Amino acid sequence: MNKLLLVVERDIRLFFQYKFLIILRAIWFISQIVLFGLIASRMISTDAVQDYFRYYVAGLSVMTLYSAAIFIGFDIYEEAEHGVFEYLLSLPVSRRQLVLGRSIGGGLRSFIYVGPLIGVSLYVIGSINPLSFLVSLFALFLFSFGVSGMSITIAVMIKSSDRFDILMGILDALIVRLSTAMYPLAVVQTANPLYGGVARFNPVTYVADLFRWGTGIEAIITLDNPLMPLLGIIAFFAFFTFVGVIIYDRRIEGGGWQ
Amino acid sequence: MKAILHLLEHDFRNFFRYKWWLAGLISMNLADLFIMAIVYNRMISDEVTQQIRSYFNFFAPGLAVTGLFASAFMIGREINMERRREVHHYMLSLPMTRMELAIGRVLSGGLRGMVYMLPLLLTCFLFLGFPTIWQLLLILAVLFLLAVGISGLSIAIAVSTSSLEKFITARGLVYYTLFFCSSVFYPLSLIQQLGRDGKFPMMLVTMAEVNPLSNASDMIRYFLLGYPPFHFTSIINVLVFSAIFTFGATFAYMKIIERK
Repeated sequence: MNKLLLVVERDIRLFFQYKFLIILRAIWFISQIVLFGLIASRMISTDAVQDYFRYYVAGLSVMTLYSAAIFIGFDIYEEAEHGVFEYLLSLPVSRRQLVLGRSIGGGLRSFIYVGPLIGVSLYVIGSINPLSFLVSLFALFLFSFGVSGMSITIAVMIKSSDRFDILMGILDALIVRLSTAMYPLAVVQTANPLYGGVARFNPVTYVADLFRWGTGIEAIITLDNPLMPLLGIIAFFAFFTFVGVIIYDRRIEGGGWQ
Repeated sequence: MKAILHLLEHDFRNFFRYKWWLAGLISMNLADLFIMAIVYNRMISDEVTQQIRSYFNFFAPGLAVTGLFASAFMIGREINMERRREVHHYMLSLPMTRMELAIGRVLSGGLRGMVYMLPLLLTCFLFLGFPTIWQLLLILAVLFLLAVGISGLSIAIAVSTSSLEKFITARGLVYYTLFFCSSVFYPLSLIQQLGRDGKFPMMLVTMAEVNPLSNASDMIRYFLLGYPPFHFTSIINVLVFSAIFTFGATFAYMKIIERK
């Protein structure tokens, strides 16, 4: 347990060394609210979404959390490129502790990073419903760990930074666009039933809907029952954390990093 | 001149080696058009519908510009990787002047952007109709200038950042600022209206007006859809952007790449 915590601590310390990146990514977030959010909300009909600006800001928090959690995969490539991997493998820590620690560390650090940004979005959105918000915060935690686990799993499976970068781009394009991060499920369903079907079973949809439900503001809530998305997030987290441990364990040795 | 041609060949061979990249980039761009634009089409207000008629049609020219940006930016990623893996020592040892090396890299980034963008532009023509031959030549010329400018911008960032993460983060910041403060995703009139209402800083409104991405997208829209009005000053804006970043990147590449 102590060794696991050491791995988690190392990843969090590493993250805070990248002050430049943290500031730049915070500017990403603010620029998306100020530019896209503000302008696009002028374009959207109030019949489709009553208050698109607040709706988008809530979705943006989820998209930012997703992007931040993905970055642990890039760290793995940096380590492989600079030979840090061999050092990590030589430590008196089991492979399982290493990957579990990295998954938790990746999820925690993205959550720590997105925490203040969520604070900004809550300020923009308005008041919250405390109990529901705690549930949605828990879902955000699990989602963040799940995405980190997914990023680590894919990184060690393909072992090529170029392929990883582009695959993450495609996943980001599909997972985010086929979700309710930017538009309500009813509109996606009307636009194309196939898109609606995919969006219905998308972890980004689950967590975005739960986050909006957690704010308790009727103008942006499009979710009736929070139990199903919560179960979906738990399944996503469990799958990528535990499958990630097994795949990392098998693929971590033998080199072949590009 | 011959050295520049060799560099172009080198960079084009590299470009086509990244089949994954190209497939991925195309998927991302098409996802924007065939998912995001189709869904937004269902959400736009009546007022905006009167102006642009269909969001899908409005966004299609913006998609060609988005694809051009992403592919012209790829050269920066390669140069950043060369710097991290110290391949640039090999590039510096080649029998060509630093100026030829720098110009060749900027030019090849722009040309690769054009090659990648052509199928997206064709997709746009298929949905919106074809321009006249003179309009087509003007569109290609403006997009080429834009591609060279973007390539220069990406090289300037690539030689100034020491890690892949920093490069990717800086790329994201440039992307969000340039794209979201332009008419690629929404009509310029909407941004100007927000400025007039005092809800958007006039500095950002001006930035959106002179943004080369706005100018290029709106020029294609004018030729294919008949709106918004086209001014020749927009070509000058693209020319200025291209000149600044081509010379800036050439200078930065020559200076920074030789540093230890």
